[in-house]
Amino acid sequence: MLRLSLTARIALVVVLSLAAAWLGSVAVFYLSIVHQGRSLRPLPAQVAALVEVLEHTPPAERPQVLRAVTSYTLSARLEPGIDVGATLASQRVSRLTARAMKVYLSALGGRPSSVTASGFTFVRPVELELRVGLRTGDTLIVDVNRAPVTSVLGLPVGFVAGLLGTVIGLAALIATRRQTMPLAELAVAVDRFDPAETPVRRLTLRSSVPEIRALLAAFERLQGRLSQLLVGRMAMLGGISHDVRTFATRLRLRAELIPNPIERERAIEDIGDMIRLLDDALLASRAGAGELDEELVELDQLVSAEVAARRREGKAIELCATETPFECSVLGDRLALRRIVTNLIDNALKYGGSARLTLQAVDAAVALTVDDAGPGIPLQARELVMEPFVRLEDSRSRRTGGAGLGLAVVRALVEAHRGTVRIADAPGGGGRVIVHLPLFGS
Amino acid sequence: MSDPAAAVLIIEDDPAIRELVANVMRNEGYRVSVAEDAAGMDAALIRTRPDVVILDLMLPGEDGLSICRRLRAHGDCRILMLTAKSEETDRVVGLEMGADDYVVKPFGSRELLARVRALLRRGTRAPQAPDRRFAFDVFVIDLDARRLAAGDGAPVALTDVEFDLLACFVQRPRRVLTREQLFKWTRGRLPDPLDRTIDMIVSRLRRKLEAAHPGSGLIATVRNGGYLLTSHVGRTP
Repeated sequence: MLRLSLTARIALVVVLSLAAAWLGSVAVFYLSIVHQGRSLRPLPAQVAALVEVLEHTPPAERPQVLRAVTSYTLSARLEPGIDVGATLASQRVSRLTARAMKVYLSALGGRPSSVTASGFTFVRPVELELRVGLRTGDTLIVDVNRAPVTSVLGLPVGFVAGLLGTVIGLAALIATRRQTMPLAELAVAVDRFDPAETPVRRLTLRSSVPEIRALLAAFERLQGRLSQLLVGRMAMLGGISHDVRTFATRLRLRAELIPNPIERERAIEDIGDMIRLLDDALLASRAGAGELDEELVELDQLVSAEVAARRREGKAIELCATETPFECSVLGDRLALRRIVTNLIDNALKYGGSARLTLQAVDAAVALTVDDAGPGIPLQARELVMEPFVRLEDSRSRRTGGAGLGLAVVRALVEAHRGTVRIADAPGGGGRVIVHLPLFGS
Repeated sequence: MSDPAAAVLIIEDDPAIRELVANVMRNEGYRVSVAEDAAGMDAALIRTRPDVVILDLMLPGEDGLSICRRLRAHGDCRILMLTAKSEETDRVVGLEMGADDYVVKPFGSRELLARVRALLRRGTRAPQAPDRRFAFDVFVIDLDARRLAAGDGAPVALTDVEFDLLACFVQRPRRVLTREQLFKWTRGRLPDPLDRTIDMIVSRLRRKLEAAHPGSGLIATVRNGGYLLTSHVGRTP
């Protein structure tokens, strides 16, 4: 299927219609010749009458008679002596002209005569030259013209009409292009539409075409509804988060009153996990709505701070020094970036027992690699574990804690930062997660 | 262990948390007073001069941020902020809010007490007008005197709009600022969609900074976003 823009399609329609109009007018032009051909030439009987009159006129008055009959369509002169020649049968003339020639010859009744056609062009029609031998011994030469139909400019009427039509057609084409322009701009606006932004009237397009106006209005309504939906959802999530946090704070303080120290520690851990899940969900939905902050964050400092905090807690974690130090600034949301790092570290510690982190510059990106010493993640499950609420342990026991949002949140946040996340095997046999984030300024 | 004379004022709108925190503080031997909002705090401040104020950031009516500024303006108490939104923690203690420390909800009593003790150990600090001189790259900017000086101390001449724009960047370093935000902060209203004023001022400002320190590239353009100041900003010594 040929893919043509709307403008191209309309242009094609205009060009084809113009061609049809041209063909039509040319056809009409030739048909009118058929109808008017006889009347535009001097009548054969007129020529015959002239011959008769000249034969009966005294030689002295003949020039007077010749002047009397001369017009745009007919000029006549006399030459002494009979010099008629013959009508050439091989003349290349149209059927119409041949018929006219025959009519003239038959009207002259018996006198020696011939007719020659000449001077055909598109603009000037055929001229006929009649030669008639008079009984007085002279030759009458009559040039028969058809009066060409021309306008004031001297061009055929159809030509001007066609030219005008073409100019009008081109103007129409430009006008059509102007009419379809808002559609192209609308497409750009729809592409750039960001539902997270406050719904301001961004569309400054104007069109008087009812269909396009309807489309623009519909798009603006859609934009409004989407924004409302998103703003409402974010407000609801924010409200829920605030209230849950308030309850969790009460619970956290009350949990300290539990007399059994083991149960107390478990309750406090549960509250921590609950809040973590809430934060993850909130952050992921903010990332999805494009509501993350943008600032320059030194990822290396952020990573080493998190590693240092875990090490103080006595966890098996190390950060490998990079061979070549590099400017490690990432443009993004500080909290989201920290969450990416902490989720990866905590996953590695929880399921792999230890964490080994590396930061490297790869082309225009920074690669954060987190290795663990666990069983790793099977090849066929690597896509699956990055879906929300999927965990690999079959038992689905809460023994190891966590709600299964960890890697899904990491992926959502990394992708919101125009990065990628990939699961691989660590060289020592454990699991490995590699996150690529674009470096600022490259 | 703790200073028995120390007074703690708790400003928190949730009654349960208010009571739980008050109990924790009382059990440690502090003198405790409570308030549920800004009006309650004003009433309490007439009766008592707290050494530490435990202040909830999200309060109905006048919010914690505004209260924090008010306390800071006249008084030498220490402020411990309770924040619900963890995304705000970076800013709570930063240049913008002026709290001394913060605790993210939900918190445990041990963590809370540790912070309060640490604040009390720091002692009272003399109230001082916040310094508004900042250093970035090779430049020093004084927001009050409206002066910008290059590394050699030579002043850099800026027009009013250029200075206002640079002040926006310096107060929010390394953060992407949109054209709309910059226009709103410098002009007090939102720009027309096709207004290029900010772009023009930024390019003039860039030229002047670049002339004073070639190759610094301080103001970066962010695709689809706006502008950001790439250098770190610190207090001047």
